[in-house]
Amino acid sequence: MKVLTFSWEYPPAKNGGLGVACFGLTRELLANGVEVTLVLPKTQETRGDARFLFADTERLVRMGENEDLLFGPYNQASTMIESIIGYDATGKPIYCSRSIMEEAHRFAHQAALIAQMEDFDVIHAHDWTSYLAGVAAKIASGKKLILHVHATSFDQAAGDNVDPSIFKIEKESFELADQVVTVSNYTRNIVLNKHGIDHNKVTVVHNGCDAEEVKELPPTLVELKAQGKKIVLYHGRISIQKGVDYFVRAARKVVDVNPNVVFVISGWGDMMTQVIDQVGAMGLSEHVRFAGALWEDDRDRMYQCADLFVMPSVSEPFGLVPLEALQHGTPSVISKQSGVSEVLTHALKVDFWDVDEMANQILSALNYPVIGQQIVKEGKLQLLQMSWNKAAQRMKGLFQNLIQYATS
Amino acid sequence: MLTICPYFHVHQPYRVKKYSVFDIGQDTEYFNDASGTDMDNRFIVEKVANKSYRPTNKILKELLDKHPEFRFNLSFSGTVLDQFEAYAPDVLESFQELVATGRVEILADTYHHSLAFFYSVPEFKRQVLKHERRIKQLFGVKPRVFRNTELSYRNDLAKWCEDNGYIGIMAEGWEKYLGWRSPNFLYNPPGCKKIKVLLKNYKLSDDVAFRFSNQGWADWPLDAGKYSDWINANHGNGQTVNLFMDYESFGEHQWEDTGIFDFLRHFPDMVMQHPDTSFKTATETIEAYEATGEYDVPEILTWADTERDLTAWIGNDIQRDAIAATYRMEKDVMSTRKRDLIETWRKLQTSDHYYFMCTKWSNDGDVHAYFSPYKSPYDAYINFMNALSDLKLRVDHVVKEKAVALDATAAKAADALEKTPQTPLEKVEPDTDPTEPPAKDDEPPAEVEPAAEPSKPFFKNVWDRLKKIFPLVSPERKST
Repeated sequence: MKVLTFSWEYPPAKNGGLGVACFGLTRELLANGVEVTLVLPKTQETRGDARFLFADTERLVRMGENEDLLFGPYNQASTMIESIIGYDATGKPIYCSRSIMEEAHRFAHQAALIAQMEDFDVIHAHDWTSYLAGVAAKIASGKKLILHVHATSFDQAAGDNVDPSIFKIEKESFELADQVVTVSNYTRNIVLNKHGIDHNKVTVVHNGCDAEEVKELPPTLVELKAQGKKIVLYHGRISIQKGVDYFVRAARKVVDVNPNVVFVISGWGDMMTQVIDQVGAMGLSEHVRFAGALWEDDRDRMYQCADLFVMPSVSEPFGLVPLEALQHGTPSVISKQSGVSEVLTHALKVDFWDVDEMANQILSALNYPVIGQQIVKEGKLQLLQMSWNKAAQRMKGLFQNLIQYATS
Repeated sequence: MLTICPYFHVHQPYRVKKYSVFDIGQDTEYFNDASGTDMDNRFIVEKVANKSYRPTNKILKELLDKHPEFRFNLSFSGTVLDQFEAYAPDVLESFQELVATGRVEILADTYHHSLAFFYSVPEFKRQVLKHERRIKQLFGVKPRVFRNTELSYRNDLAKWCEDNGYIGIMAEGWEKYLGWRSPNFLYNPPGCKKIKVLLKNYKLSDDVAFRFSNQGWADWPLDAGKYSDWINANHGNGQTVNLFMDYESFGEHQWEDTGIFDFLRHFPDMVMQHPDTSFKTATETIEAYEATGEYDVPEILTWADTERDLTAWIGNDIQRDAIAATYRMEKDVMSTRKRDLIETWRKLQTSDHYYFMCTKWSNDGDVHAYFSPYKSPYDAYINFMNALSDLKLRVDHVVKEKAVALDATAAKAADALEKTPQTPLEKVEPDTDPTEPPAKDDEPPAEVEPAAEPSKPFFKNVWDRLKKIFPLVSPERKST
């Protein structure tokens, strides 16, 4: 079985949950005997054994390293990104600004060409920036298409005020796809109710998690720990979707009761200035630290040093971060408006808007350390049940169904 | 001759309302949820009264009136009796009518449906005595057969019961300890001479309590005729069939539309169609039959789950932490002698609170199959611990006040002693003063633990002399 997969992100490039999910799923699909050809929008380093194609090589156009691309799929469609479209006679790169939307269309254009050249049985496209590519490949090849929903415009808008151009791509692509896979029931409900897609076509395949033993890293924030401070960590993009503002409001309530707590905000995003202003306005400067965007070991050290992790998302299709925290031995408070709360029993769960309850849970978890002890002990066991292999087997089954249906 | 000894356990806990960290030090009411949800104790008692207590008692009364041979046993937690009195007095009256027939025996129990025996025997004893007084007051009888919370049992509990005058105790009839033997006989606990153990026939009991409405069960639907045949099949292979179950099996665990009430209504008739089958209360059973062997249970045995242990209550870290924190407070709580603090502390000992924190089933996503008013075991734990923390603050406050008052008294008296010759003091007999007044607060003296030692050792010597003069403040007064 050969699958042509389109994705916008892939490790080791620094990226969010989409890249991690694509990597885990691809690796396990390969292990299950599925041949995966992965098409990425631009040439990059890759990891793992899949066959890679880059949608910029065809035109011999290389795009520059560009931090803005980092969280591309989650930006507004009109967000401008700079790409290198060529080099002048002196070897200097020629930049061209395009919108994500233009990039998605370019990706689709390339996808149609690739689909005509490649040999495969089924098409699999991740998230809205790749939906057009998936649809183009389907039209070009006549093969069946599965769209994989890791996030929707409703998550990114944290409400109904969605970007209409993204919504249009989502809705039209879902309608054209043969199957839509969502990473949670939470997201499935959005696709059913907001996009109005037929429920028979939409299936849930929960994300997995790599339950590998993590290495112990040198401690961080030692001076705070030495003062006996408790560390409560947020890690993720700083955007309206992620609910960092609710986290800061809960922090105020926590500090009023227990001034011995320090809140660490790790990440970057378009709400950064607003959150910094909010921290100042609430008089929390002493109690909140901004760590910037942390990756790899720096991020893991932060997970390991934290006493508690909080994922206050307003709308979270899945949410891998509490699982990562758990692997590093840190318990979590997670928003009920998340997919991961459907599969992770061992966490404290709160409605993102219920700041009082969030503060209650944070204080209680710090006050009664046995909660964390138990969450980590039993949660790690639960992680073992959530492998990417399980998700890959479900995907393989869906591919098989579609292929059978196509040939019969 | 084969007799049936049915026993129905009646219990409702005082569920802790939503109680957050921010309520600590602000709100001293933990059980007064009035939301009309499953945390609202009045709401639940009224709901279960309509679904179970009222219709079932009506049927039981009819059966007692119709069949002079019909007998059964009831056990009540004190917490359910208190809630009947407050929320559904007619239900309490209907139970009193049943007991007044003289054919319904009441069993001894802990007042607060607690696991105190395994944490503090003195506290356990106080709860058993409190329960006994309450039963006497409401029903005019004194229980002679003991059953412990969740049918929890161990050899040393049987010994305690024998030492405290009980003639029988109930336990699960479990193969691990029975071996090839039948639960349908009486047994002796090891090291006991008089007390006999009544063993639950779990197969026949659970057919009604758990399987009755299970349509996937091969024997569904169960009717009184078929069930009577199963019971009567034990003729020649036993003397007593002990059917122990939650009273709420009738109408609450098994809803009316499952046919459970019809089953109950017809069961005595059908089973007594066999000329040699009849009913006995626990005491009658114990007096009628001899023990046939020893039932040796060195580890805690309960009627719960396939493990028959306490793991649903104290199986994980948060449960063990919560129950340990509760019993750690014993000395301070008792030293306050404040009835409301002691009573609140005891309400928090009710086993249900720890059960709500169980994570045994949550890995299978099956947690919702087990009733809990809380959204998760962790929510249950946080709620409980916040309430307990508030209680601890209140207790610490009283303890501190008392210590300050005692220090002041001691200091004053020490001054006085300086000026008084000491020899006559030695002649005063301590601790036997018949004029000793009762405790200041209204907690009955029988329940009062020795008060805490004054906190500062500096005063210890002064204190030793003082207590001989002032028995009123003596910390050494013995409890029962």
